[in-house]
Amino acid sequence: MALNMFTIHPLVLAELEVGQHLYWQVGGLKLHGQVFLTSWFVIGVLLLVSFLATRNIQRIPSGLQNFMEYALEFIRDLAKNQIGEKEYRPWVPFVGTLFLFIFVSNWSGALIPWKLIHLPAGELAAPTNDINTTVALALLTSLAYFYAGFSKRGLGYFAKYIEPTPILLPINILEDFTKPLSLSFRLFGNILADELVVAVLVLLVPLFVPLPVMVLGLFTSAIQALIFATLAAAYIGEAIEGHGGEEHG
Amino acid sequence: MMNFVWLLAVEAAETVEEGGGLFDLDATLPLMAVQFVLLAVALNALFYKPLGKVLDERDGYISSNQVDAAERLAKAEQIAKQYQQELAETRRQAQTVIAEAQEEAQKIASQTVAAAQQEAQAQREQVQRELDEQKSQAMATLEQQVDGLSQQILDKLLGSLAA
Repeated sequence: MALNMFTIHPLVLAELEVGQHLYWQVGGLKLHGQVFLTSWFVIGVLLLVSFLATRNIQRIPSGLQNFMEYALEFIRDLAKNQIGEKEYRPWVPFVGTLFLFIFVSNWSGALIPWKLIHLPAGELAAPTNDINTTVALALLTSLAYFYAGFSKRGLGYFAKYIEPTPILLPINILEDFTKPLSLSFRLFGNILADELVVAVLVLLVPLFVPLPVMVLGLFTSAIQALIFATLAAAYIGEAIEGHGGEEHG
Repeated sequence: MMNFVWLLAVEAAETVEEGGGLFDLDATLPLMAVQFVLLAVALNALFYKPLGKVLDERDGYISSNQVDAAERLAKAEQIAKQYQQELAETRRQAQTVIAEAQEEAQKIASQTVAAAQQEAQAQREQVQRELDEQKSQAMATLEQQVDGLSQQILDKLLGSLAA
């Protein structure tokens, strides 16, 4: 009912469309088209920037190469801090791509006026605005830390379920479910909420008033990307090192 | 405001049955995961590996240069120390040479002075001797004359007495 009220209002400058998707049918599968469109844009931006930055690599970096080296060092530090000096290197691509993809997604949602492009249904927004994306990333993170644990410690990885005491077994098992759940919902909720707050404010007061909230949204978006990547790295590090890693979570 | 948004969310969630809604999980999820993995692989080849290699190479370059520089610094310090040592050594040698030369000069000077003094002594003695000789000759001559004169005086006195 509330939705209808907005969509039929004649003076509405921005529409609120929540939970409406541009459906694509691919071989009997339903896809959210708007998510893929913006995610392709994000992927394109990342690939393009990476290509431009590494096209002509110099020992003394400048311009884009310098910037991307800064980004890489940031990601490496993040992974190193969470996973540890010895083991972090193979995980840099995964953690880094998590961070870059979420970060660029969030900021593209906050900075690019996607809504000017009209779709038959739904609207373009940050890919992380869709629960499918965040759950996909969170499940990949779960797979990653299971893989990390098994490849490092073999079946001994299961020992962590009865540490420090077997009494905690149910809680430890539950943790494997809460981790992806909290990861995905934290990201999804933050980005969607930010977008909704901005949209509602724009709806009520179109000029200037939403600006501080938009700035706050940029900040939140960056923080969420950092949190997701940091937590993923922390889970991986915990799975690798085994003991005493619970404080990270 | 929060209630407002919450209402919206609830409203949206209620539309799931009609094919939509906030929590509409479908094939987007696995495809997005596949897409993400492909992105990670592509970025690994395009971004992490080449730039990571550059970073590592630069680290290696810098640390090797640093080691090299430290080595060179140690070498330079050693050379400086050696130079100082040699300088001190040379100074000491110079000092001894100077001292020896001074000593020698002193010796020569004293020898020369001694020789000159000896010579002067010898000359003086010779002169003295000559003087003495002449004096004794003169004395002898004078004595002879004294004898003659006294004889004459005596003769004159005696002659006057006798006369």
